[in-house]
Amino acid sequence: MLVVLVAVPFQQTAGAAAPMDLVFWGGWTGPDGDVMHQMVDQFNKEHPDIRVTLTTLQWTPLFDKLLTSVRAGQPPDLMGMHSQDIAQFASLGILEPMGDMVKAAGFKASDFMDVAWKGTFSQNTQYAIPLDMHMHAVYVNLDMWKAAGLPANKLPTTGTDFVAAAKKLTIDGAGRHPDDPAFDPKTIKQYGVGMMNNHHGFYMWYALLAQQGDPFLAPDFSRTVFSDAKANAAWQWLQDLVFKDHVVPVGETNPYQDFVTKHVAMLIDGPWEIPGLNKVSGLRWDTTTFPRVFAAPAAWGSGHLLTIPKQSNKAREQAALTLATWIVQHSQDWGMSGNLPALLSARTSAAFRALPGRRGFLEEQAYEIMLPDVRPSAQLYSAAAPSPIVVAAQSVLVKGQPVAGVTQELRARINAILAAP
Amino acid sequence: MKVLPDRAHGHRLRGGGAPLTPYLFLLPYLVVFVLFRFGPVVGGFLTSFTSWSIVGAPRFVGLANYAALARDPLFYTSLRNTFYFLVLTAPALIVLGFGCALLLNRPLAGRGLARVLIFAPYAMMSAVVGILWNWILDSNFGLLNYYLAMVHLGPIPWLSSEAAAMPAIALTTVWWTVGYNMVIFLAGLQDSPPQLEESARIDGAGSWQVLRHVIVPLLRPTTFVVVMLTVINTFQVFDQVYVMTGGGPGTATLTLVQYLFYQAFQTFKLGYGSAIAYVTFAFLLVLSWLQQRLLSSEAS
Repeated sequence: MLVVLVAVPFQQTAGAAAPMDLVFWGGWTGPDGDVMHQMVDQFNKEHPDIRVTLTTLQWTPLFDKLLTSVRAGQPPDLMGMHSQDIAQFASLGILEPMGDMVKAAGFKASDFMDVAWKGTFSQNTQYAIPLDMHMHAVYVNLDMWKAAGLPANKLPTTGTDFVAAAKKLTIDGAGRHPDDPAFDPKTIKQYGVGMMNNHHGFYMWYALLAQQGDPFLAPDFSRTVFSDAKANAAWQWLQDLVFKDHVVPVGETNPYQDFVTKHVAMLIDGPWEIPGLNKVSGLRWDTTTFPRVFAAPAAWGSGHLLTIPKQSNKAREQAALTLATWIVQHSQDWGMSGNLPALLSARTSAAFRALPGRRGFLEEQAYEIMLPDVRPSAQLYSAAAPSPIVVAAQSVLVKGQPVAGVTQELRARINAILAAP
Repeated sequence: MKVLPDRAHGHRLRGGGAPLTPYLFLLPYLVVFVLFRFGPVVGGFLTSFTSWSIVGAPRFVGLANYAALARDPLFYTSLRNTFYFLVLTAPALIVLGFGCALLLNRPLAGRGLARVLIFAPYAMMSAVVGILWNWILDSNFGLLNYYLAMVHLGPIPWLSSEAAAMPAIALTTVWWTVGYNMVIFLAGLQDSPPQLEESARIDGAGSWQVLRHVIVPLLRPTTFVVVMLTVINTFQVFDQVYVMTGGGPGTATLTLVQYLFYQAFQTFKLGYGSAIAYVTFAFLLVLSWLQQRLLSSEAS
C-alpha cells in the first residue's frame, strides 16, 4: 500500500515536464497589484511551461529584499523598478544589461514614449524594458465643483485658475471663503485641495522649478545648479497654498482619504489612485493637468520598468524575458491599474483612451519630467525622513519655515550626497 | 533519604567532569541563540568597521563610521529625540502600570474586564496601532480633534507639528504598552505575602504608609525588571514612528533606530547603520548600569 502511495506521484510527474518556476517581484501594493496578479495568472494559463509567482511588497523593503537575495545568490527572475532606481542598482552591478534582450524581444525606441524609453538607460546602457508612466495631475470632485458654482467642463490648468477655484472650494464653519472678510481658517470644514507633504511635496517643487526653465542638477550630476530665486519661488507657491491661501489642510496626513470622504474637493496625486476611486460609489470625479504656475508646462513623473537581476541560469533569464515581453505587449491590460502604458500602441488605442479619468494625465504626458537618475538615488530620493527631499518638503509645507533657508539646506545636503565617494 | 545513583544525573563528560545531560537539553536553544542572536551581534559589530552595501565585499574602514557619526548632526538630532521620547514615555509607563496594577489587584467589580481592556492593546500589531492612532490624531478630520472642537479646543496638529508629534507618539505608546507593565506589577503584587500588609494595618498603618513601607519595598525586584525593560524598549522605539510619522515632520520624531534603519536599509550603508546600532547599545548599557546602581543603592 505504501509503495503504491509513493509511486503514484512519481508516475504522474514523470510523464509531463515540470514547468519552470519564475519569481517576479514588484512594489505594486495597491489596486495596481491586483491588476498585475491578474495578468500573471493569465500569463501562467497561456504558458504551461512557465509558472510565475508574483510577490508584491512596498518598494523600500522590496529593494532591501533584492539586495539580500542577490547576496544569497537567489535573486528574483524579474523585478519591477522605477526609472530613478536604475542607476543605483546598475552601479551595484546587480542588473543585467538588457539592450540585446530588448532588441531580441522585438522592441525599439519608437515603440515607446520617448521619456519612458530614456528612463531605461543608465550611463548609455539599457537595463530595462519600459512598462508605464505615471505623473502628478489634479483630481476634481465634480459634485463639489458644481456646488461651488464653478463653470462645468472648465477645470483649471493654470496656477492662477487653480488657486481661484481652490479658494471657492474652501469653506469655513460660517460658509465663508478664504478671500471673504472674517474668514476663519480654524473652522474650515471643506478644503479646496489635498496634497502630500512628503517626498511628493519635493516632486511638485521639482516640477515648478522646471516650469521656470531651471535645471535641478549639473549634467554630470556632480552638484545642484538651480537658482535660489527660482527655487524659492517654487517653494513659496506651494507654501502659500497651505499657510496663506488656506486651501490645503496644514499637516494633511491622508489626502486620498480626504478626497474620498469629500473633505477636500481637489487632489494632486498620481494615476495609481484611479482604480481605488473607481470603486467609490457616489463619487463623480475627473482629472486635469498639474497647474502651470510659471512659463512652461511641466509635471513630475516617473515610470515602472521591468529589469532582470543578474543570474547564471540563462534558461531562467530567457523565461524572464518572455514574461517581461508578454507583460509589455499586454500594456493595455496594465492600463487598468491607472498607470499609463509606455507602449505607444497601447497608449493610443481607442480602448485605453476611452477609459474614464485619464484625461488630465494624457494631456500632460508631453510635459512629464523625471528625476535625474543619480547613482546615490536611495539617499537622495528616499521617501522617509531624514532624506533631504522629505525634510525640505515638510519644512515648507508642514512647519511653514522660511523658504530661503530650506532651499539652502536642501542644496547643501544634496551637494554633500553627490560629492561623497 | 534515598540517594540516586550517579548515573541518574546523566552522562558525564569524558574525564569525569560535569554531567552532559543538562547541556543536551540546552543545546536546541543554544544553537538557535548562537545562529540568530549571538552570530548577528558579532557580525554587526564587525560590519560597523566596514563600508558595505550588502552586495559585494565589505571594505574595512576602521573607525571611520564612528568618526563620521561623531560629526553627523542628524545622529545628534536622533539621539536627542530618543531621550525626549524616553522621558515622555518611561515614567508614564512605569507609574501608570503600577497604578493600574495596584487598583486592579483589589477586589473590585469588573476588574477582570478592566485588566483585559488595559492589556488588550498590547496584543495588537504595531502597524495596526499606528494606523489606528493616525486616524484618531489626524489634524484636520481626526476623532480627537473632533471632540476637542466640541469643547472649543484645538485643532491641534498632532502628527504634523514639531511640538506635538513626539508627545502624540508617546501617548500612543503608553496606550499600547502600559498593559504589559501592569501585568508584571500584578504578578509581583500577587506574589507578595498578604500577611505583611495585614500586619501593618493591624499595627495601625494607613494606606499611604502600607504603600510606601510595605508594597513598594516588596515590589523592588519587580520594579527593577519593569524599569529595565521599559527603558530598553522605549530607547529602541521604531515601529510607531515608522508608521505614524516616518521620522517627520522634518526630523522632529527621528529616533536612533529610525535613523539606523534609514542608513542601513534605505541608503544601503550597512556599516554606518551598524555603527549607530552599537552606539545605541552602548547608551543602553550605560543606562542599565546606572539603573542597577541606583536601585541597588536604594535597596541597601
